Amino acid sequence: MDQFTFASKHKTVLTAFMIVGLVCLGLTFVVDDELHTRFWTNYLHNSVFFTGIAFMALFTLAAFTTALAGWHTLVKRIWEAYSMFLIPGLILMLVVVLGVVGHLHHLYHWTDAAAVEHDPVLSGKSSFLNTGWYSIGTVVIMGIWIYFAWKIRQISLDEDKNGALDFGHHRRLRIWSAAFLPIAGFSSAAIIWQWIMSIDAHWYSTLFAWYTGASWFCASMALTIMLVSFLKRQGYLEKVTQEHLHDLGKYLFAFSIFWTYLWFSQYMLIWYGNVGEETIYFYERIHNYPVLFYGNLLLNFITPFFILMRNDTKRKYGTLVFVSAVVFFGHWWDFFQMIKPGARLTAMEALAHHGGGHGGHGAEAAHHAVDFAMGFTIPGFLELGTMLGFLALFLFVVFNRLEKASLVPKNDPYLPEALHHHVELHGDDAHH
Amino acid sequence: MSKDNKEVLYGLYDDEEILLSAVDKANEEHFDIMDVQTPFPVHGLDPKLGLAESRLHIAGFIYGALGTLTAFLFMTWVFTRDWPIIFGGKPYFSAPAFIPITFELTVLFASVGMVVTFYTICGLWPGVQNVHLDDRITDDKFCIAFDVSGQEESFKDKLKGFFSTTGASEVNIKNI
Repeated sequence: MDQFTFASKHKTVLTAFMIVGLVCLGLTFVVDDELHTRFWTNYLHNSVFFTGIAFMALFTLAAFTTALAGWHTLVKRIWEAYSMFLIPGLILMLVVVLGVVGHLHHLYHWTDAAAVEHDPVLSGKSSFLNTGWYSIGTVVIMGIWIYFAWKIRQISLDEDKNGALDFGHHRRLRIWSAAFLPIAGFSSAAIIWQWIMSIDAHWYSTLFAWYTGASWFCASMALTIMLVSFLKRQGYLEKVTQEHLHDLGKYLFAFSIFWTYLWFSQYMLIWYGNVGEETIYFYERIHNYPVLFYGNLLLNFITPFFILMRNDTKRKYGTLVFVSAVVFFGHWWDFFQMIKPGARLTAMEALAHHGGGHGGHGAEAAHHAVDFAMGFTIPGFLELGTMLGFLALFLFVVFNRLEKASLVPKNDPYLPEALHHHVELHGDDAHH
Repeated sequence: MSKDNKEVLYGLYDDEEILLSAVDKANEEHFDIMDVQTPFPVHGLDPKLGLAESRLHIAGFIYGALGTLTAFLFMTWVFTRDWPIIFGGKPYFSAPAFIPITFELTVLFASVGMVVTFYTICGLWPGVQNVHLDDRITDDKFCIAFDVSGQEESFKDKLKGFFSTTGASEVNIKNI
């Protein structure tokens, strides 16, 4: 079946999960502190995570198109559909922007004008960390992403109707894709600094954007593998074979190692340099959030590295989907540990100096032990429920977009190559 | 089995697709293929020839793990027992600083170990003279070779017939 239909059964299930997510968000809001830190961090966490997955799908697609890749042609409609989540993603992020502009939340220390005034570090950064940059940056950068996503999908869909297995449409796709790559590279770094790194407003790391980007990539690839497997079980994508799964698995494996490489590079340089302003980030996490800190490496490095190292584990649906689920959850966990500790410190300070303009250093507060708090020290049930809600929303949008076009890009000049894709020298010795 | 005085009947093909169907044909007729030589790895050829999957990667894993242990344990011994030095106020046992070298030695051990193992298995070492059935096999020809030492002329004719029906562009006999 080349035409996907969004079954009403799946619509019901996804809607139910979205309601679960909403209920969890609502409950979080009720049981929260007076600044609603847990609610807002959960909201930001999931919005950034799923928006990033959509962005990375578009980036991957653009990179493959530019590189004249052929094997991914059978799954490219999935990535096109992912990239369409950038539109609801913008709406989700606009709520955070509204919170920054209207001081509805206290996620970012630099939004506190009184604190910035008396803080040389924050006032030194205020030309970039300010409301204008945050709001206009989010709208403009995501606007550009959406425009490229829409354009690339548009050309691809037009190829189905008016293409003829020639390179006419592909050439146009390639131009748009190649143009997107540098824009995506620079703009995603800037937006990652704003959205996530500025939570630890005193801290900075030049590696942070790459590391976060790699995390998005792994999550996007893991979700793709799970979705491909799901669609195959539903009887779609019958042309997608073990060979394609094998390559997706290789990407998951390779980029899990890439993520670890960046994680370690960032950690080791800061550890070695031993500059207080930089080490505070890891000091806080290792001492007050050890489960998050070490769990991150277990989920995102140890598991995929040792399981996917073998050839055959990437060719078995069961193992590959299992690892994908772990890695998907792992990168959600990674964003959790990026966001929660810093936002919690900011909130604790704001609550301590309630309304006051002291703006004390985060470093002072961090050296005190921070108590265990569900939803900060580890993700609680409310966080898991919220994540399922956001995942359901993401899948709802993706299924809705998948339905609008053929699952197989009929006139893509690389389709025949994808249909004959064969990566394993030993052929079909490991069926299912 | 003596390496000398082997009479080899071989056919050259121009294309790997033709070669693959010829191999199938040979299997159907139960001809015992001595070797197939190609300028590059041909997908799907190994199972047709009944070759077992290479176990080189298992050796690679073991070499790599040895490299990991060698590097990490050696540095630990040097910096905590043999010659402890304080670098930049760090503890003697500075695991993060050991990681890059541990990684490098893992790669080095795995790659050098696999190269040496591979060459040893293939019987390739400095000074070895290799027998080439035809130099063009290293360029653009695909070769199926049969050992016909001491075989009847009628059998050789049968094989020649096989080569001509399966589309070989050239058939030769060579003593190696």
